[in-house]
Amino acid sequence: MRFKIPRLRIGFIPVMVTLILLALFPFIGVPRSWLLYVFLFSIYLAMANMWNLLAGYSGLTSLCQPAFLGLAGYTMTIGTWVGVPWWVGLIGGGVVAALFAILISIPVFRLSGIYFAIGTLVVPEALRIVFYLWKPVGGAMHGAGAGYMIKGTADVSMGQIYLLALLMGIGSIFLMRFLLRSNLGLGLAAIRDNERAAGSCGVNVFKLKLVTFIIAAVITGWAGAVFYLYQGYIEPSATFNVKWTMTLLLATVIGGMRTEEGPILGTMVVVFLYFLLARYAGYSFLIQGIILVGIMLLSPQGIVGVLRRNRSYRSLVQFIDTR
Amino acid sequence: MMGSGDIITPIVMGFLLGGLYALIALGLSMVFGVMKLINLAHGDFVILGSYGAYALTSFLGMDPIVSLVVCIPVMFALGFGVQKYLMGRAFGISVEAPLIIAFGIALVIQNTNQILWTPLSRGITTSYSLKSFQIGDLQFPLAYLLDFLAGIIVMVALREFLARTYLGKAITAASQDKRAAQLMGINTNRIHGYAFAIAMVSAAVAGVFLGMTFPFTPTSGISFLAIAFGTVIIGGLGSMVGTFIGGIILGMVQTLGGYFFGPATQMLILYLIVLVILTIRPQGLFGR
Repeated sequence: MRFKIPRLRIGFIPVMVTLILLALFPFIGVPRSWLLYVFLFSIYLAMANMWNLLAGYSGLTSLCQPAFLGLAGYTMTIGTWVGVPWWVGLIGGGVVAALFAILISIPVFRLSGIYFAIGTLVVPEALRIVFYLWKPVGGAMHGAGAGYMIKGTADVSMGQIYLLALLMGIGSIFLMRFLLRSNLGLGLAAIRDNERAAGSCGVNVFKLKLVTFIIAAVITGWAGAVFYLYQGYIEPSATFNVKWTMTLLLATVIGGMRTEEGPILGTMVVVFLYFLLARYAGYSFLIQGIILVGIMLLSPQGIVGVLRRNRSYRSLVQFIDTR
Repeated sequence: MMGSGDIITPIVMGFLLGGLYALIALGLSMVFGVMKLINLAHGDFVILGSYGAYALTSFLGMDPIVSLVVCIPVMFALGFGVQKYLMGRAFGISVEAPLIIAFGIALVIQNTNQILWTPLSRGITTSYSLKSFQIGDLQFPLAYLLDFLAGIIVMVALREFLARTYLGKAITAASQDKRAAQLMGINTNRIHGYAFAIAMVSAAVAGVFLGMTFPFTPTSGISFLAIAFGTVIIGGLGSMVGTFIGGIILGMVQTLGGYFFGPATQMLILYLIVLVILTIRPQGLFGR
């Protein structure tokens, strides 16, 4: 164990330097577009990590992530309309997402595998109709449907939103490391290998899955709220949209499901694609769909699956790995 | 769309609509029965069928029902290809691979439709699709009656096909016990291809009648996937009569929901009913 400690420190240095550099971005006057890249990367990364936790590690192929990020975004937005500070609304958004996760776990947790997927797919669709019909605050200002601007965030700078997003993104990496090495992670691994055997060994399958679902809902919700804080407005059709699910799936699958570094690499590719394909707006999701199918067929473990066959990549990971 | 005042109208319309919903659900149920796969892209395949019929009717002036002569072979080939080159390979990869691939296919279809036809809402109109028929004093759209008849015809045809032809029996055998079927000399890979192709044919037929009944957009697929899923859940998987009853129940839920709470809420009520049924009876009302 003793000789492991220096390797830990050396490996950690480049990671820390990168993080500090990223955190200093808003203060050293980098171009605004760079901030936007890292901002989107962080938001998507937090969400993709949570989807990886659900689909990759817990066998919960959830297709209702837009519900969590949308509800949290709405909680924050509506909060600013009734005088709640945005940061209280943001935190509260995570709570609302968690409560909603508990609520929908009643029907969808009775399903497994692909049933679970379709059961969850319906949820954002239903919410979208709810927010088309229901206008929580603001009366008849903008016609039908709940489209809102976020109020009272004029003093929040892009730098602050950026740092918040970075915190979510980087935080989600450390959260994944922590969770997967905790009892929860061990239990999930046992369930993944053999659910019945795990259950008979005293692993509370239902509870572990529910806790994972709630954690994922909270983090996805927070990341969503930060995204809407940046965007400045929220409306139902783009919020409860299957395209969010697509982005998270793509980020996880391209990078490599059920791997810790997968979503990080995958999210980089997705953000790159996002800006590359921005000019071909109509074709963007068509191309992403084709990539998703192609990657799944050709390299189910994504980029990480290919890289892991490479020795220098393995030693790089070992070098950075602080375990 | 809703008749006003009289409650008989939504009940009859919902009943007739059940035929269409059963028709949409048939393909989903078939693919599930044979391959143990819920095809997440099924709703989008149905909408693809609607757009195919829309294209043939509006550009070539074909009758939408006649246009099936073109749509059915195309969808059959497409279904066979998708199963052979995409879905069939997915099973060997991992549990969630077929799901993710189907999700990818769904998005490809949605966005192709969006590029070709713009996100505007479309509908298939013919000389008879706007006509109505009379029962007593009440008027009903003819399209709903056609939906019901199409549902019954396809269901009976499929049933006879499965019971009487060699291919049908082979499909049934492969769905009951894949290994035993293989040992009896059935090429299960090819059978899976045929089963998927037949499911796509039923999607093409469903698409035509859907297009005559409702307006559709490139993203309508998800709502019809939910309807098909709900129908199958209510009816219990694998039971054709159950599927039909499931379709009728969902059809009535939708029309009565629209009648009592306004047309804007009818899809929401439908989704809620699906979730409630999943909560209280996940094996379906008629499931074992």
